[in-house]
Amino acid sequence: MEFDFQAIADSHQLVLSGLTWTLTMVFGSLALGVPIGLAACFAKLMMRGPINWIAIGYIEFYRTIPEMVNIFWIYFCLPLIFDVRFSSVASGLLALSLFSGAFLAEIFRAGIQAVPAGQIEAAYANGMPRRWIWAAIILPQATKLMIPAFISFFTDLVKVSGLLSAIGVGELIYQATVISNQTWKHFEMFTLVGVIYIAIITPLSLAAQHLEARYARNR
Amino acid sequence: MNRLLELERPADGEAQLFRLSTFISFLLAAVLLGWLGIHVKWGFVSELNFLELWPYRVALLRGLMLTLMISVLAIVIGLVVGIILAILLQLQVRPIRWMVKTYVEIARSTPLIVLLFWVHYALPHLTGVETTALESGLIAIVFQASGYLADISRAGIQAVPLGQFEAAYALGLRARTKWLTVILPQALKVMIPPLANVSISFFKATSILSVITVGELMSMGLRVSETNFRPIETLTFCGFIYIALGILFSRGTQALERLTAERSRRVGG
Repeated sequence: MEFDFQAIADSHQLVLSGLTWTLTMVFGSLALGVPIGLAACFAKLMMRGPINWIAIGYIEFYRTIPEMVNIFWIYFCLPLIFDVRFSSVASGLLALSLFSGAFLAEIFRAGIQAVPAGQIEAAYANGMPRRWIWAAIILPQATKLMIPAFISFFTDLVKVSGLLSAIGVGELIYQATVISNQTWKHFEMFTLVGVIYIAIITPLSLAAQHLEARYARNR
Repeated sequence: MNRLLELERPADGEAQLFRLSTFISFLLAAVLLGWLGIHVKWGFVSELNFLELWPYRVALLRGLMLTLMISVLAIVIGLVVGIILAILLQLQVRPIRWMVKTYVEIARSTPLIVLLFWVHYALPHLTGVETTALESGLIAIVFQASGYLADISRAGIQAVPLGQFEAAYALGLRARTKWLTVILPQALKVMIPPLANVSISFFKATSILSVITVGELMSMGLRVSETNFRPIETLTFCGFIYIALGILFSRGTQALERLTAERSRRVGG
């Protein structure tokens, strides 16, 4: 068999719209997931009582449940429970946001707790006000420390966004399925999709590995 | 450390501030739960009936068995392939290293769902051999697992002290004896925690195979919910099984880690 580049050229518009949807879902769920993650991290680290239990329960639950179950559950069951109709994009966005919120909360927590305790104790000993400790001591170091984990989570999120094709969100894989069912060019389409994903993910994961190795050396 | 991060000052005014932050916590929780309580249509609760799943017990059990079988096969075959790749990396032959690295990078960077569609729909165009959904699913998941496990094995082998390699060389051990009796047993011990993590994530990832209806738990759950029109019960039940088995497995491996750590302490390394 030969590789038919014409098939790819003919369908480039659909592929581009799929790529746009993939990126929309990824960045949309990050935009919602970062505030959720910050809130859950705050509640887990610094609050007591019920809101702390809710945050811990949420984080643990979403870290154990398979992404596919999460997506299907929100798509099929949530409309019955809330008695509203969600579009597949809305339920996909909700599923990905809750997923990223839980994982980001753990990444933030790990970053904050990786700041050496001596730094905070030293700030206390110098009589630094509490907000200054956060603004000048904890957050700058924690942000730097969480970059590698954040990047590798981002690559995971890109991968997970592909699962949304199962509920009919028109992202990259969904478009590839549609095109290849019409043109019977499965090989070309899915190879193209694989190459696109590798082109997005490989540089990021190499960067994360590089940063992690550098931080480990400097410690 | 956690004490330092908490909202109230560690020492002064402890009792009063504790009450204030607990009050805020209760308030926030009440707002959150109240919002949910108002928007949920509680009518669905009275219609819940988990007994509706009983007629489908055989299908669901079969799905669960297939899920477990796929996870075990993915990890076992993936581990064997991964270790072989990691040993090839140690050979220090440039072209082989590049090939192994490319393989690992492709296996890790491609989403499982893309591999799945590629193996199921694209590969037959190339080879002319049609694979069943189960075969495609197994090929895709084993391929991805072998990439992850090659990386873990590489790290495990690198954690074995250099002196062990030198000693094996000095004793004139044959390559097979050196790897099977000296290096790999020590490497495997280091690999247990990451191996456990990967096993759990691949156990979870088997649910992705439902997109080509392999017939594991998730696909069975979807099919059952299409026939009995009870998605809430069916999908919740499936999710519960995944969570329960995931927690069980992670507890089990934690116990195993403690056991090996204790034993190596007793033996003295």
